[in-house]
Amino acid sequence: MKTRNNCRDWRELLGAYALGQLEGDERTGLEAHLDGCAQCREELALLQPVAAMLPHADPERFEAAAPQPPPELGARIGATIAAERQQVEKRRRRVFGGFALGGATAALAAAVLAIFVLGGGSSGEPERHVAFASRGVSIDATLEPHAYGTEIRMYVHGVASGTLCRVSLRGPGGTSYPAGTFRYRWGEDSEAVLSSALDLSRTRAVVVHAGKRTFVAPLGSAPATAHIPTQEEST
Amino acid sequence: MIPSTLKRGSSTRGALSRERDVREAYAAHSGELYGFAVRSLGDAGLAEEAVQETFVRAWRAGERYDPKIGSLRTWLFAILRNVVIDLGRARAVRPGVAEGGIEQSVEPLEEALLSWQVEEAMRRIGEDHRRVIVETYYKGRPYAEVAEELGVPEGTIKSRVYYGLRALRVVLEEMGYED
Repeated sequence: MKTRNNCRDWRELLGAYALGQLEGDERTGLEAHLDGCAQCREELALLQPVAAMLPHADPERFEAAAPQPPPELGARIGATIAAERQQVEKRRRRVFGGFALGGATAALAAAVLAIFVLGGGSSGEPERHVAFASRGVSIDATLEPHAYGTEIRMYVHGVASGTLCRVSLRGPGGTSYPAGTFRYRWGEDSEAVLSSALDLSRTRAVVVHAGKRTFVAPLGSAPATAHIPTQEEST
Repeated sequence: MIPSTLKRGSSTRGALSRERDVREAYAAHSGELYGFAVRSLGDAGLAEEAVQETFVRAWRAGERYDPKIGSLRTWLFAILRNVVIDLGRARAVRPGVAEGGIEQSVEPLEEALLSWQVEEAMRRIGEDHRRVIVETYYKGRPYAEVAEELGVPEGTIKSRVYYGLRALRVVLEEMGYED
């Protein structure tokens, strides 16, 4: 038997030992070395679970080439997924198109969808309420933060039926972000829903042009439902 | 020789919700998934079905995949495991199939997974290492005989067995094995 002087010589026997293939003097010698060598014991502890797994493998299987998926499988999966995606999109269109009365409603449906998709009220910022009145005209607005900007729900009382109202939000530095227009043709108790690209957190004021008059309602620093005094400007 | 497909990707959450991501995941992992599906289902046609279903389910649930929890590979294998169970159930209730003369897979799934892992790991270690493990362990041939056949000293065979087991351990760990 070859003389083994160092740890490395002994360690190279650990594989055969873990597989139960070491006999006689070599086995006795290695066991004596293991008694006194923590490093080799650790090494053996790493090999033993691997040796214990070997009976689970069938050499006929691993010596044969690994089975490969047919080349067209990838394309088939891609086509299945594309078809399923189209089905989902079609279904979605049907749901939102079902109550569509015209282009405007369809656009609103799309906007509502956008709110569901993008909004979700995840910003954690509370909505803001602004109420102001001046010279017989009162305006109530609720501003709600969304991922796309700000949603404005607004009631206007005291303007003549048919008056065109243009609404915008004023950002820092006085920049104006349009929110849309509305016009009451009958009654004046329905809520106008508008949206602007300006984030609520950056909104300084709500500006309403009603006919030839302009109302500027600044947002207070604290979100509150308190009455905020109005500045009226003439155009 | 470790395929790059085993390297953990730096993908982000929801990494499988786009069709392009599915294509990339397929390129990286379909071989292994298919290998395991064949091993556990014992049928190439069913294995194809299983792999297809795995990627479709992964795409549907793509937003839920979170790389912080585990690798994409581990996630895909978990889905495939469920698919294989479902296909096994479907086959069990399909009348007549078991009488087809083909030995149906009676091997429990966990055993199939373990066997597949060890076989796959054996494929990935070097030829020299695999050869000595096959000859001495699986065929039970004496070291002296194998040494003579290969024209190397007996000690070399022993050290190759040692380095072969170490290599197996490394490959198994890369495949997700833990003690």
